[in-house]
Amino acid sequence: MATAMQAPSELTAAIVNPLLAATKEVFETMLGCTPTRDGFSPKNATIAQHQLSAAIGLTGEATGTFVLSLPESTAIAFYNRLLGLRATRLDAEVRDAVGEVANMIIGRAKVELTTLKLSISSPNLVSGVGHQVHYPVGVQPFCLVFRSEIGDFTLEVGFADGLNKTLATSTRNIISSRK
Amino acid sequence: MNILVVDDSKTMRTILGRGIDKCVDGATIIEAGDGVEALKLFEANEIHAVLSNWNMPYMDGLALLKAVRERDEEIPFVMVSTEAERHRIITAIQAGVSDYLTKPFTPQALDTKLKRWVATS
Repeated sequence: MATAMQAPSELTAAIVNPLLAATKEVFETMLGCTPTRDGFSPKNATIAQHQLSAAIGLTGEATGTFVLSLPESTAIAFYNRLLGLRATRLDAEVRDAVGEVANMIIGRAKVELTTLKLSISSPNLVSGVGHQVHYPVGVQPFCLVFRSEIGDFTLEVGFADGLNKTLATSTRNIISSRK
Repeated sequence: MNILVVDDSKTMRTILGRGIDKCVDGATIIEAGDGVEALKLFEANEIHAVLSNWNMPYMDGLALLKAVRERDEEIPFVMVSTEAERHRIITAIQAGVSDYLTKPFTPQALDTKLKRWVATS
């Protein structure tokens, strides 16, 4: 049975903006580079944008999924920059590094989201061309594209509306915050 | 000097281990991937300081901290965690944590904590 997709909600915007700030902070602190946003679009397929995804589930007053998705080249550059090593392929250690950085992003963002009382899962790492990431039924996920000196990557987010209607940020803020 | 580094991420254990190598001469780094493994290593070795993540499988960092404090009230125990909310930090302080370092952290921030708690232990 088909389910109507929800429009981007205030809740989604209120979660996305702290995620954007946290991503910038984690990249600058741990990787020494500043990512810039270069796109924002609805995501209409469950297929992940790139070869490696770190998916983190959030439950509480918001329920949904946050995904850091990277092509193999970015994942390897990511690992090499973080640890000063020379990985040449997407192995378990590279996946662990990406998962740890995703964990830091969501952990840092959580500080700004205390009103939502979120419970956050450990990152699940999924790799391979064409792998799928699923979001709560009826939720419209979004894809945010980033460029950085260690390569491109995306953040994909999709959240079901919670009960908290006091959040003031609008969807318009997601788009206008593009840098 | 034996330093116990506890984190379920090998990446983070490597980063912390490198920081210790730079800061503390002659340190031996003992790694554990969760609190249960860490407690066994703590009991089997003479440990001089503990750096531990909070969120880990089997036994988390807070439970490890409490278990360590039952055995040693003085040993430096630094929590290195993404848990940056005020109430979580207060919980760790009440459980006897020596210091707290939130992820992400700069090399300088790590160095400061290590010099204060590990190099002098």
